[in-house]
Amino acid sequence: MESYQPEYDKNGLLSDTFWRTPHRAVPGRPCQTVQRTEVMSGSSYQQFQASVNDAWDLGDDDIISGIAETKISKAISQTAALNVINSHRNSSKNVNKNDVKHGSESVKPKVEAVEVKKNEIRKAGGAGSSGLLRHYPGRPRPVRLSALTSREESSESKLERFQQLHDSAVIDLDELKQLSWSGIPVKARAVTWRLLAGYLPANAERRVETLERKRADYKHLVRQYYDAERDDDTYRQIHIDIPRMSPLVALFQQITVQVMFERILYIWAIRHPASGYVQGINDLVTPFFMVFLQEAASGQELDNFPLDKLSEEQRDVIEADSFWCLSKFLDSIQDNYIFAQLGIQYKVNQLKELIRRIDLPLHEHLQTHGVDYLQFSFRWMNNLLTREIPLPCTIRLWDTYLAESDGFATFQLYVCAAFLLHWRERLMLEKDFQGLMILLQNVPTQNWTDSNISMLVAEAYRLKFAFADAPNHLHNAGKSDR
Amino acid sequence: MGTREDEYDYLFKVVLIGDSGVGKSSLLSRFTRNEFNLESKSTIGVEFATRSIEVDGKTIKAQIWDTAGQERYRAITSAYYRGAVGALLVYDIAKHLSYENVERWLRELRDHADQNILIMLVGNKSDLRHLRSIPTEEAKAFAERNGLSFIETSALDSTNVEPAFQNILTEIYRIVSQKQMRDPPEGDVIRPDEPTDVRPSHSDNVRKQCCQ
Repeated sequence: MESYQPEYDKNGLLSDTFWRTPHRAVPGRPCQTVQRTEVMSGSSYQQFQASVNDAWDLGDDDIISGIAETKISKAISQTAALNVINSHRNSSKNVNKNDVKHGSESVKPKVEAVEVKKNEIRKAGGAGSSGLLRHYPGRPRPVRLSALTSREESSESKLERFQQLHDSAVIDLDELKQLSWSGIPVKARAVTWRLLAGYLPANAERRVETLERKRADYKHLVRQYYDAERDDDTYRQIHIDIPRMSPLVALFQQITVQVMFERILYIWAIRHPASGYVQGINDLVTPFFMVFLQEAASGQELDNFPLDKLSEEQRDVIEADSFWCLSKFLDSIQDNYIFAQLGIQYKVNQLKELIRRIDLPLHEHLQTHGVDYLQFSFRWMNNLLTREIPLPCTIRLWDTYLAESDGFATFQLYVCAAFLLHWRERLMLEKDFQGLMILLQNVPTQNWTDSNISMLVAEAYRLKFAFADAPNHLHNAGKSDR
Repeated sequence: MGTREDEYDYLFKVVLIGDSGVGKSSLLSRFTRNEFNLESKSTIGVEFATRSIEVDGKTIKAQIWDTAGQERYRAITSAYYRGAVGALLVYDIAKHLSYENVERWLRELRDHADQNILIMLVGNKSDLRHLRSIPTEEAKAFAERNGLSFIETSALDSTNVEPAFQNILTEIYRIVSQKQMRDPPEGDVIRPDEPTDVRPSHSDNVRKQCCQ
């Protein structure tokens, strides 16, 4: 998997006036005029399917590179995104109205127009027709809407759908991604993550054989690199960092667990000499480890789960699968960890440019007080927000990252933007550099739950469709414009 | 937000540098929040905290930048040396390698920090008496040879943490105020954002937030 071309490069030509002319046809595709009033109808889904059918021709091992080619019908995706945003706005008292209000001028008229639809959306939800909603491509799950129906009922039916998909002879990864984007039920998560990471083949016939081979490969890597003479500097740094990862969680204080992490990270680092181990990558193992542990220790409390309770074979599976999934996951963001961390520096500049366009008053507020984006968002990018939000939220966020059809490297930029905008009210109240920095480094997410993440990714999704396609919108990203 | 005070006479930017795991973040949290965690997470990039102290009836606000110790972060962290008037160069008295690397850190400062930056060598984890591998006298002699001030601290039991920061901030203050007596700035109010010898090149951060 190589790094992909960001979407705005490919589609820049056709999207410059996107928000102003939502009905505009997409060149090279059948003309699709989307009536706003038909947004909830089944025909939109068929339109979507028709528009992407040609984009999917994937082998098991190049899922991600295939994703980069996907072109979702813009009008449909965008309308779906706006629906979600509006349903959030309308059904939550806590919604930050300014998120939309401070959007660029070109966004405004469209958003207001769509507001009219809120009653329709409510009706759809209230009538228990959430099944219809589910058909929307890449649609962030409207959290507040789902609250209208019985939560357990919907999560059970969702689990069933996952299980049906998992049981099929050749899994439709497109469908799996759509289903996963809005969150994966705990019981289906481990298998789904393996599939989405491109580790477990979509073809059922190849699954057992592939897993056996990969797990054996990992054991071989352990013998080859970890059990042999080690690179001192790399090992020392990992060895220092592991014990202090989650100092208050008993699970991670077990030597068994720490050694598993050490092996995963050490082998990954040695096999990726361009980056090597960089502090923070250790935090990126944790979600995979937890998800695979959860699968092995089903139903048990994990915070102080004694790993020795599992068989050696079970532990080996957790370790090997964490390693391979981490490797696949990091492939698309390796430039984050090379010398001088150029990938991050580039993305930080993109974030700055994006915020300047989305929310100029906030941008100017930060600049006036001398807050540089690198000072706070470096960690957001380097650790993919794992330091900013609770672990269960990270796992929920990664459901979306793994399901994100353009690869999450681009999407993460918009998640960071949405995350920053989430705190805009508080930030605007801070009157000096100190106050801003301390808030930005310690954003109060302690009580965040999955629904906060659903809101966050929905907002990120909206931003992506509003800004990702605008030509040159990140044109000046490389230059500083303090 | 805890430690913010709006009123101050001087604002000094200080950086914490040194090898990974020597206790830079622990020193910072002990000084600014009087907290200590036996294991605190590795610092990613840079982290920031602030605290004010009184010297000669003047309020001195310390803006302290805690940096990641890993070599890979050097490109990011060295950008923060600019505009710093003081540096605490920390090693672990029980880890010889962290002491050996002090020379490399001094070179880092020479390359990226302002010429007149005040440097204090800090031997942390002095509570680990039975594991000590750097004799106090040796480090002291090294500091003298290199024109650094020196102190041993324990963020765990608080020993000398307060004096370490007090000393370096006071020393910076003396230099700044002597300089100002020699070359009085215009007007009768001493402002923290006026150029001094110890801060030849202002960072944008410092200046902007002073001029609000």
